Amino acid sequence: MDYARKLFDKLSVEQVKIELLNTAYGNGNTFLARLDPRTMFIWYLFFGLVPWFIHDEILLAGMLLFMIVTTIMARVSPLIIFILCLGLLGQGGYLLIVSFLFGGDLTVMMPLILLTIKVSIISLASITVFCSMDPEKLSDGLLKIGLPGQVSFSIAYGYRMLPSLIEEYHHVFLSFRLRGKAPEKHGIFYYRSIIYFVKIAMLSFYPLLLSTAKRSRTTVEALETRGSLYAFNHPKVKAIKLQHLKIEWRDYGFLAFSILYMTFVFMIARMY
Amino acid sequence: MSQLKERYKLTRSQKMMVFILSMSLYGLSNMITELVPEFYLGPLEFSIEYFAFIPITLAILFHPLYAAIGASLGEVIFGEIMLGQFGGFGELEKFIAFSLAIYIAGSLVRNPKNKMQVGIAAMTAVVVHQFISMMVDIGKVWIGVEELEAVPGLAESVVVIEGFYFLNDIFFSGILFALLPTLYLVPRLYGKIEPLLGMKPRDNNMQYDTGDIVTPKLLLSAVVLASAAFFFEFLSETDFNFEWELAFAEENQNLLIWGSMGVAALIAIITITWILNRKNKQQMEPEERIAR
Repeated sequence: MDYARKLFDKLSVEQVKIELLNTAYGNGNTFLARLDPRTMFIWYLFFGLVPWFIHDEILLAGMLLFMIVTTIMARVSPLIIFILCLGLLGQGGYLLIVSFLFGGDLTVMMPLILLTIKVSIISLASITVFCSMDPEKLSDGLLKIGLPGQVSFSIAYGYRMLPSLIEEYHHVFLSFRLRGKAPEKHGIFYYRSIIYFVKIAMLSFYPLLLSTAKRSRTTVEALETRGSLYAFNHPKVKAIKLQHLKIEWRDYGFLAFSILYMTFVFMIARMY
Repeated sequence: MSQLKERYKLTRSQKMMVFILSMSLYGLSNMITELVPEFYLGPLEFSIEYFAFIPITLAILFHPLYAAIGASLGEVIFGEIMLGQFGGFGELEKFIAFSLAIYIAGSLVRNPKNKMQVGIAAMTAVVVHQFISMMVDIGKVWIGVEELEAVPGLAESVVVIEGFYFLNDIFFSGILFALLPTLYLVPRLYGKIEPLLGMKPRDNNMQYDTGDIVTPKLLLSAVVLASAAFFFEFLSETDFNFEWELAFAEENQNLLIWGSMGVAALIAIITITWILNRKNKQQMEPEERIAR
């Protein structure tokens, strides 16, 4: 029970909500957060794709350095970085161990390190870009580059509805626990308790499916009354909504600096 | 009678309802599964990968396409953006794979009361999704590591690890979190949840057209995915990849680097011009409308 209780303490509803708001709106005043979303998308288009096709150590090292600097600039929360590092080490380590089983030796190390560097460049680029944009900015940016209005509506809807959805789920879950009977013994590795909780977690979706169905009908009817379904992809509405997006000197400066830096690194890589 | 035989059609707002329902519920479940820790027993991974039964159930009961897209978008929004883990291009791959899997599963079922069909559909969804993500993961290492064949043991180990995860996910997540709950939920919800959205339940008389299920898009994507799979298979059989790299890369490394740089620049330029063009077009449109 102890383990389960700790788990559910950690998952307290308030905690989740606070954590969500923190990741969404925690860092709105960094330099990167003030850039236009389109600038960030173009920047990401390069750094998210190109590393896959580069096999030069110096080049990759230079890119990694740049990514680390931008990640620091974006003031990403340490938790996300920690999770990323854990994942990278885990994957690399697994590959290393299993390739030893197939008769590999230490020469496996070098390609694996390169692969890890590539993956970290790409992950850091996406963290930099998407953590420094708050949800409104991201949805405006996505709308601007041509995604349908439903997507940006869904992002807004998600942020609005999630707290009440979590609360409702929590209530259903608790009532299942109240009416049900917890296993008397935990079993080895608490397997009985784990099975019990997982089963309840899935069963709780049955009432939730029905109530959410009603809610989504209400939502769509409200949208219809306001003409939103028509307005989602209407160019004039879009134009008014996206008026505030402007590419300024800041954006040009950032892109120009990135290009200059990459050219510089290419030069160095070419010399050696 | 003629109305009954008409194929299953939804109005625009009903499609939106299915979309929102699928998005919010699967998003919520995704947030829960992201927060629950994973259990490892050696290389065996006992984690709640995803509650796949929610979108599968909805795709069987309602329109598969909107349930599938809604679920994938819900995963991206609730499970990634809101938790600060949005991964850019990686999400695109997940989005496509998951939507495709759910859509196929939903279209397979003709009669939601038939347990056999529902069960097969649920397992198909998991197998398709996990197969695509396995292929993508193997492909990533293939592209990412230069001269993969030259490194002893690496190629085999990648395939073995990914294949193992594939089987692990199918037998563990597939049966526990897709097959059993779907078999439990679909008969219970059938006929009960549809009136809440103001629509008739799907029944045998209101079938999809076969042409609706086997759309050119579905065929095309299936062919592309299958050929990608065969391509990687082929690469592993021959040493084509490796020889090409050796003969070419030694002298022309700079050329390769500048080449890839050029390709990237080209992509960026195309994107920018495309954005600008679209913008111009959008500005044109209202005037054209007035002119009409």
